[in-house]
Amino acid sequence: MDYLIQIIVSGLTLGSMYALSAVGLSLVWGSFNCLNMAHGSVMALGAYFTLIAVDSIGFPVWVSLPFAMVGGALVGTAVYYLSVHWMLNTRNYETNIIIATFGIGMVMENGLLKIFGGYPYAQPLTVQGVAGLIGNVPVNYRSIVIWVVAAVLMVALGLLLTRTRAGRAIRAVAQNRDGAKLMGVPVARVYVQVLMLASLLAAVSGILISTTLQIVPYMGANPLLKAFIVICLAGLGNILGALYAALLVGLVEASASTLWAPQYGFPVILVVVILALIWRPEGLFGRVMVARQ
Amino acid sequence: MMRRDYILSAVLLVIAVGLPWLDPPRYLLAQGLLLFCWATVVSQWNLVFGIAGIFSLAQIAIFAVGAYSTAMMGRYLEMNLWYAFPIAGVIGVIFSLLIGLGCLRMRGVYVALLTIAVGQVLFVLIMGDGECSPLNPGICMSFTGGPSGMGGFGGFGWREVLGGRHFIIGDYYSMLGLLILAMAFTFWIIHSRMGLAFKALRDNPELASSRGISRFKYQLLVFALSAFFTAEAGAFFAAHFGSVGPGQLSFTLLLFLISMLIVGGMGRPWGPLLGAFLIMGGDEFLKEAGEWRHIGFGVMLLVFMIFLPDGVAGLIDRVWRRLTTRGGAARAGKAAPAE
Amino acid sequence: MADTREPLLACRGVFKHFGALAAVNNFDLDVLPGDVLGIGGPNGAGKTTFLDVISGINPATDGRIRFGGADIRQQSPEQICHAGIARTYQLNAVFDTLTIRENVLVGAAFGRGDRGVFPRMRFSREMRARVDRALALTGLEDRQHLNARELPVLDRKLLMLAGALATEPKLLLVDEPVGGLNPHEIDQVMEIMSGLTREGMTIILIEHVMRFLLALSKRVVIMHHGEKIYEGVPTGLLQDERVVEVYLGEGTAARLRHLMGGSAAHG
Ligand SMILES: Nc1ncnc2c1ncn2[C@@H]1O[C@H](COP(=O)(O)OP(=O)(O)OP(=O)(O)O)[C@@H](O)[C@H]1O
Ligand SMILES: [Mg+2]
Repeated sequence: MDYLIQIIVSGLTLGSMYALSAVGLSLVWGSFNCLNMAHGSVMALGAYFTLIAVDSIGFPVWVSLPFAMVGGALVGTAVYYLSVHWMLNTRNYETNIIIATFGIGMVMENGLLKIFGGYPYAQPLTVQGVAGLIGNVPVNYRSIVIWVVAAVLMVALGLLLTRTRAGRAIRAVAQNRDGAKLMGVPVARVYVQVLMLASLLAAVSGILISTTLQIVPYMGANPLLKAFIVICLAGLGNILGALYAALLVGLVEASASTLWAPQYGFPVILVVVILALIWRPEGLFGRVMVARQ
Repeated sequence: MMRRDYILSAVLLVIAVGLPWLDPPRYLLAQGLLLFCWATVVSQWNLVFGIAGIFSLAQIAIFAVGAYSTAMMGRYLEMNLWYAFPIAGVIGVIFSLLIGLGCLRMRGVYVALLTIAVGQVLFVLIMGDGECSPLNPGICMSFTGGPSGMGGFGGFGWREVLGGRHFIIGDYYSMLGLLILAMAFTFWIIHSRMGLAFKALRDNPELASSRGISRFKYQLLVFALSAFFTAEAGAFFAAHFGSVGPGQLSFTLLLFLISMLIVGGMGRPWGPLLGAFLIMGGDEFLKEAGEWRHIGFGVMLLVFMIFLPDGVAGLIDRVWRRLTTRGGAARAGKAAPAE
Repeated sequence: MADTREPLLACRGVFKHFGALAAVNNFDLDVLPGDVLGIGGPNGAGKTTFLDVISGINPATDGRIRFGGADIRQQSPEQICHAGIARTYQLNAVFDTLTIRENVLVGAAFGRGDRGVFPRMRFSREMRARVDRALALTGLEDRQHLNARELPVLDRKLLMLAGALATEPKLLLVDEPVGGLNPHEIDQVMEIMSGLTREGMTIILIEHVMRFLLALSKRVVIMHHGEKIYEGVPTGLLQDERVVEVYLGEGTAARLRHLMGGSAAHG
């Protein structure tokens, strides 16, 4: 029983962190078929932004979160104008953009290494202590904060996409790019907004991840791969599916780690997801909100 | 294969074979050898990605499988590595076939994402492998060697034949031999009937299937065929350095190799060799630069993807074609085909 | 019209559903060897979808499709190609990075079959001969080393046709071979196609250009909302009220009647 609670608690924590990055990744793919390989480095940057805000500038800790979110959004804009902007509608766009953003990611990661060195830093924006026990399983304040932040941002994203003009434009583009263009949606502007939004979420995801681990330049690599697996499982471009799939992957990983050994978490996920995809090549939740290809 | 290719091969061969006779510094031979190794890997990657159009990133994993299986056969089975090499190649082929089967029903970027994950899973497994293995008596070392890798499995054996001063020449020629075989193999495939199927599936899978080409069959074939020399390159790499480690699965190596592929020119038979040469040459200047080196590679990838997605070989091809067609309208009809 | 020959292609009760939409709706069709069947009908009638169904690109959701006596409904596109059905596409589908010759070689090298786990590596003399024949039939020989990507529309259409012919099909499916061409180019394609019909090639032909469709077809089917609303001789089409109403319109029908004059053969 305690095992089960343990799995659910840590699975939900992992899943919440994956969801934040995976949903953004999927949104970007759904809008303009871009698999953003720099997404992981944006997560790392997000974590470093809080470090800069608190340690270098001396902002109060709570300001560092919005600071990092704005920073993430700006980085997203930069990624757009450095790569996508030049490559839209070119031959082999889908693969070329992967390579180009991989290049950008490597620049960011090694830039961080250059500036901060490889030493791990502790995330200043964190909470300590145990909130209480469920059964015999201690639940940290930190996990609760992660759940709450992820839930709040997911709901905010949902409201943004369904209730605002900008959000409706994004969904129109994701569902039918050419149709949206004909209806007068400024497609390029929507692309930038989507990448800003996704990068903002990635920055937050990076911060949350760094509260459980440490801040190092390559900290985004592993979560990025998990996010990729999540969106493959969900079906590329399916945003709501990405949310469910993230929780699912988090739970599977937590099960493997708890019942077997931590290093088997990732391999087990991969095997499960590949089997799922052999069964349903378009992802578990199909392509509900996908641009027609 | 066109006359241009034969001439180029002959010239390159003379240079590569002749180099050791000029008594160059050892460092140059070591770098040349490494160039051959990477060119072999990238040439096979080119077959999968450039020719068959499958964006698989599993090549790094296959390379590592070749290296590790050679190391393990040498260390645990005390095999002469020359016997281990072909077995490592076959293991690589089987490994790649499994990956191919896993990706079979998926398309495009799904394959990229899952194959990159395969490499990382191997990385995680090796890094997390800390249990002392009974196969390593006397010391506590895990089966894969964990984060610190493993050694103690011998090498090509040239040291015994040529002595400590000249053994590198043996290693050099061994690796050169591998590259020559890999290149010959690549040319053979590209210009064969099978190569035509790969290119047709790359250009238009639906049309290819309604012209009688089975995607299933040829996708598995290209996964299998491209794996042999990739794994072999890993095996030779291990034999030369006498050690293997999880660094072979790092994003850094991926960055390095993908730069070769892109800068050289994807889908063109000479692209990988050209790319390996340019990147290794350029790397010499960036060696001292620390992180700037990887930043430089990242920027270069971006710049090539935007301005020159078909690489330097593509550029040369276009210039060449411009020159030959301008040479006379009569020859325009016979302008060299792209490949 | 009673004919005792075995049909080459026999479709019975064929359906293709996209969700709730029946793009092909309870379709019956027989095609005899040497037949030239024209299919017409308004946009979205399901003509292309019907070819997709026959060629296995988009398998039928229900019904029976027999070709040369064998059931092909569940077969893959490559198996159907090997069985002897070749098609062209409405949108210009060619292998972009290959030359004209290599494009046609694909059909010649794989269209007749591709046995064995490890395929043969060399191009045989027969394969090359098939390429030469297909290039000669479509008049592309002099341009055979040009890259497909750089070709004008007419040449791309001809190239698709040549690629299909190189498989030496028993049944040729052609989807709008003259869509987007000017009258002069249409005549060129018509010339080539009537050459094929003279040689006795069995063809199913989709086209909106009625002049082209009526001149080549021995028999015409008109589709509407996935169903067959007319089947018969080409001239009969112009008298059929339903066809004139949903597809041709009075003006066009009158013009075509005038064009065909009394010269059209009666089936
Ligand atoms: N892949 C698909 N998914 C969903 N609906 C489809 C698909 N392909 C075709 N349809 C629908 O099926 C119907 C028939 O389309 P089809 O392309 O066969 O028409 P057509 O007769 O060839 O028209 P046209 O003369 O314009 O070529 C249309 O309503 C179309 O929107
Ligand atoms: Mg159509």
